[in-house]
Amino acid sequence: MKNITTKSKIICAIIVLLIIIGTIVVILKGFKVDIKNRAVQQIEVNIGKSFETQDIKQITNEVFEKNQVLIQKVEVYEDAVSIISDEITDEQKSNLVQKINEKYSTELKAEDITVKDVPNTDIKDIVKPYIIPIVVSTGIILVYIAVRFYKIGIVKSALKYGIVLVVAQLVLFSLMAITRFPIGRFTLPLVLFVYLLSALGITNNLEKKLKEKKLEEETA
Amino acid sequence: MKKIQLITKILLVAILVAIAFVGIYVQKQNRMENVVKDYTWGMDLTGTRVIELEVSDEKETITKDKDGKVVKEEDKKEDGEYTTEEKEKNPEEVKTLDNYKKSKQILENRLKKLGVNDYIIKLNEETGKIILEIPEDDNTDHTVSNVSQVGKFEIVDSEDTEKVLMDNGDIKLSNVLYNTTTSGTTVYLNIEFNKEGTEKLKNISNEYAKVEDSNDSEEDAEENEENNSDESKDDTEKSEDTKEETKQKEITMQIDGSKMITTSFDEPMENGQIQLSMGQATTERDKINEYIESTTTMATILDTGNMPIEYKVEDNKYTASDITKDMLIKLAIVEAIVAFIGLIVLIIKHKKLGILATIAYIGFIAIYLLLIRYTNVTITLEGLAALAAIYTLNYVCNFKLLNKIKEYDNKERKKAIKDALISFSIKLIPIWILSITFCFINWMPITSFGMAMFWGLALIELYNITITRSFLKG
Repeated sequence: MKNITTKSKIICAIIVLLIIIGTIVVILKGFKVDIKNRAVQQIEVNIGKSFETQDIKQITNEVFEKNQVLIQKVEVYEDAVSIISDEITDEQKSNLVQKINEKYSTELKAEDITVKDVPNTDIKDIVKPYIIPIVVSTGIILVYIAVRFYKIGIVKSALKYGIVLVVAQLVLFSLMAITRFPIGRFTLPLVLFVYLLSALGITNNLEKKLKEKKLEEETA
Repeated sequence: MKKIQLITKILLVAILVAIAFVGIYVQKQNRMENVVKDYTWGMDLTGTRVIELEVSDEKETITKDKDGKVVKEEDKKEDGEYTTEEKEKNPEEVKTLDNYKKSKQILENRLKKLGVNDYIIKLNEETGKIILEIPEDDNTDHTVSNVSQVGKFEIVDSEDTEKVLMDNGDIKLSNVLYNTTTSGTTVYLNIEFNKEGTEKLKNISNEYAKVEDSNDSEEDAEENEENNSDESKDDTEKSEDTKEETKQKEITMQIDGSKMITTSFDEPMENGQIQLSMGQATTERDKINEYIESTTTMATILDTGNMPIEYKVEDNKYTASDITKDMLIKLAIVEAIVAFIGLIVLIIKHKKLGILATIAYIGFIAIYLLLIRYTNVTITLEGLAALAAIYTLNYVCNFKLLNKIKEYDNKERKKAIKDALISFSIKLIPIWILSITFCFINWMPITSFGMAMFWGLALIELYNITITRSFLKG
């Protein structure tokens, strides 16, 4: 029993520590937003023949060095490429065009290719569609929890359930902030995954408690 | 006997695995084709139509007659005296952040009403440029050509188009109505006006009431019988009866300056509604669908209000997803490694039963992959998260099953399995609630998650009661 308590205490301490560190990182540096959702610059090069993204990746690695780059094939025939990076200088553009010309024997001119500014996605727009479904389903679940575990205590069980869900999400976002995992396309799938696992975990815990309570009542 | 049964079951699982991962190939026109249905992928995993909308810097030429009235190009007379002036479509005073944000909001509302259930919209708050990413399907071109229309609705005097009698501000809602009679189905654009608009319409319909002409009364009666619901007559009829035209005042309804209909009113319109028939009654399904599509678009544009800024489509291209098939294969390999480790733990802990549970689990993976294909679940990144969650949940279920059997010391195995499955099913109820709620949301990533979870949970229940149970019951 003592061991379990100590284990729980250690887990709680780690969780609290993670959340505190995560909060500090968010306050100081904010979240990192992924390249697909932050304000970037884009150029589009019409190669005019099929190509492998991996080959373009090699070229961009040489041109943009350590800067993050997003490569996408454009158009139905996939013979053009869109290259996105935080900033694309004229020199980088020229180098890129030159290397593409060398690789694909094309005669593209840097001056014909324009650098476009791509605005960021408002994170609120990404989150907005999820708010109502999550709030509604959590509301229904909390009602179910309160009814199912009324023997443990309606408020106690619902509160416990709610706290676990919130803490699990706080841990997830703290980890994202600490590890500089970018906020973007993968965030909400992860949020939902963690939500499900934490929901299963806490339901399991409450079921155990309910079983114990019933046993207690039976023996009494 | 038991051994034969077991071998049969293992073979069945092997076949399922082969179908799910390799497919069933049949010869079709000198080539082998996989007849197993393919996955349906969402836009984040396939590609999107990227549309760049720039604030229009174009100028429009306004032609005025000698009285200073604006004259449309088609209404110009050869011997008329006209002056022209150029006007910016978007004067500097409208290029504000508020208007940019309002335009973005209107675009979003239009996309929702047009049934686009997954999109990304980006706004450059300095220039007003909007980048829209929508799924590539049969409706994409239609959406692109209509979504950025200004949608300026006006009811004007047909003789003096500068005299605006009603506009978007008077509309409460707009939708599509149908009426089917023996002659076919007629599609109507229904415009419902707000309180102020209803009052205006009442006054206008009084002012522009049809002037009765004894010579025309018979013809009019026939016409009204044919088209009494919209209480109007169209342009072609108007030209046939020039005598009447000279006598009565008419109104013109226009969207973005394009004339939709010119009409007069039979009687005062007090209910605040106008129903315009779109095309003629028809029994041809394609024609009806065409009318419905164009009317829905018009209703959507009217219902969402007019854009404060005129946009032009600067670029419109299909862009493939940066998440390539190779990346998905790598992700699948990582998941397979995690599953492999988990199953090894199962085997080490539960020996023979662990091996049997592992075989059953592999069969579950295969059936689930087939199920999501045949239930038309669109797989998005959220859908992939649901897949991972379902495999995790089934693993937990199997783990608990084996623990329960161990708890019962391998005696009363059937009872142990039954207890474990009932207990696990009860624990899944909150997840069922979440999944079912998500299935009803009209946002593809959420629906994808909900549907993948729904079918996955159903399979966990059914598969473990039947297949896994039959492997483990001994």
